[in-house]
Amino acid sequence: MNHFFVFLKKELLEYARTYKLLILLTVFIIFGITNPLIAKLTPDLLANFMPEGMTVTIPEPTALDSWAQFFKNTQQMGLIVLLLVFSGVLANEISKGTLINLLTKGLSRQAVIAAKYGAMLLVWSVSVGISALLTCIYTVYLFPGDPVSHLIFAVFCMWLFGAFLLAVLLAASALAKGNYGGLLLTGCIVVVLFSLNIIPGAAKYNPIALAARNMELAAGAAEPPALYPAAGITVLAVLALLGLALAVFRKKEL
Amino acid sequence: MDVLREYWLFLLPLIIAQFALMITALVHIFKHPTYRFGSRAMWIAIVVLFQMIGPIVYFVFGRGEDD
Amino acid sequence: MNILEISDLHMSFGSNQVLRGLNMAVPEHAIYGFVGRNGAGKTTTMKIVLGLLKAQSGSVTVCGEKVSYGSARTNRHIGYLPDVPEFYGYMRPREYLKLCGEITGLPAAEIKSRSAELLELVGLAGVNRRISGFSRGMKQRLGIAQALLNKPRLLICDEPTSALDPIGRRQVLEILSAIRGQTTVVFSTHILSDVERICDHIAVLEQGRLALAGTLSEIQKQHRRNSFRIRFAAEEEGRAFSQLAELDRPGIELELEGRELQIVSGDDSIGGQELIDLLSAQQIAPEKFEAMEPTLEDLFTEVVK
Repeated sequence: MNHFFVFLKKELLEYARTYKLLILLTVFIIFGITNPLIAKLTPDLLANFMPEGMTVTIPEPTALDSWAQFFKNTQQMGLIVLLLVFSGVLANEISKGTLINLLTKGLSRQAVIAAKYGAMLLVWSVSVGISALLTCIYTVYLFPGDPVSHLIFAVFCMWLFGAFLLAVLLAASALAKGNYGGLLLTGCIVVVLFSLNIIPGAAKYNPIALAARNMELAAGAAEPPALYPAAGITVLAVLALLGLALAVFRKKEL
Repeated sequence: MDVLREYWLFLLPLIIAQFALMITALVHIFKHPTYRFGSRAMWIAIVVLFQMIGPIVYFVFGRGEDD
Repeated sequence: MNILEISDLHMSFGSNQVLRGLNMAVPEHAIYGFVGRNGAGKTTTMKIVLGLLKAQSGSVTVCGEKVSYGSARTNRHIGYLPDVPEFYGYMRPREYLKLCGEITGLPAAEIKSRSAELLELVGLAGVNRRISGFSRGMKQRLGIAQALLNKPRLLICDEPTSALDPIGRRQVLEILSAIRGQTTVVFSTHILSDVERICDHIAVLEQGRLALAGTLSEIQKQHRRNSFRIRFAAEEEGRAFSQLAELDRPGIELELEGRELQIVSGDDSIGGQELIDLLSAQQIAPEKFEAMEPTLEDLFTEVVK
């Protein structure tokens, strides 16, 4: 346990000094502010670009549009940036041999995997938390009184999906060779998950649902229990992936 | 201009965040002569021209070894 | 007491048999030069001692405790300096030592005092830069500091000087020399002058076994061959002298090059006094008469021939 915290501290220092923290926090802050703004300004912008004399009725934007932006941005750019930034977290140490020294001093490999996942999860949680908070504040300011349902659960689903991707990335980095091998493998796994939805009935259990159905929740079109199966599977998958990462990393010759 | 006056509460932090990212990247580029690939001029152009994306790409792919 | 004992160690990578029954004993407080050509198996041996590699057979004990693969238990007695130590470039030397100390489980106060002491020893006390800007020599010295942090009884260095320029090499050797008596040092190298400079014990690894082992003076004594060089005033004299019947014995090798004659006698078949007597009997006054000590390099090439 002690090793876990020692290494967690080292990881966080690394994120701060190698600009990982800066990138993620700024990107998610920018998203947090942009989301409501884009929602508010889109009709005006559209109107400006419309050819003269053409009248289109654009519905007044609501808080839901703002949250639609939040989920869209987080799901697309946000998660991509997250994976990009953390892609080398394990691979670099293996390829450079920085761990050998610490492992001979008795650092357990379990602590390495646990601390790396813990540190990434912490940064992801803070990032998505700040983004959601900013979106929330500005949405309330711009669209006061608009109803949004199951918001916390919808954000939680997005968070859980990010946590799942980080576990995929860690296991993939332990398995794959090279600095970008893990990232590539993660990409492949996501594609496979998307294609699994073709199978009838699979979508309900697919972790993808956690990042796809958030707006249904927010709009009240779906109730949280609809996502419980996917959430359950995802939690189990995270644990299994961490176990896999550890098993592979244990066998790895450094 | 109306947009600016109306939404400065949004635009100001947005601009600050974008600039913070850009300036940090530029400072790093000027302090470090070697990159994983590409030249100094290329990275400066990327960081200045592509808001947000430029600095991210630089820090993730272009930044040389270590700090 | 032997701080490190290796007995009958076998190890191969595929069909390449690297260690074939290696036996080795390192006495406490020795500075032990572990010599062998590149690829002889020096690094492999060290990794087995550290529990980073699994040997096929044989046993290793450190301070009387058996080393087992995958466990870092015996490593608490050992400080290890890899050939090219890799650090986190974004850390400062003090921060790295702190991380190492915390992993080893040293109390915070001790980490602090010990770090200061060691950074002083390796000449990095005033350096508060990030490690990414360090030269190889500085990294090697920081490597020694981190290896000594938990006051190990055994310090293992893998080719600590190979990648360094002459100044860096001298600094590293001086540091290793300075801890003589406090810590046992085993260091592998293929640079023999380094061994001559600081080691008191030497072992030569060849064909997966020790071809030579002992204290430096012992070995030099054992392998002392009487070797002389005589420079004559004229080539004629040299030729005549080298053809004397007294020198035509088994065990004596003669090599005449211009006015210089080199005489090597494997066993004690001829001594310096005898040669001088011979010279004066022939009424030859040489320009130069020299008795030569065998260098470690001669020994090494002889052993690994």
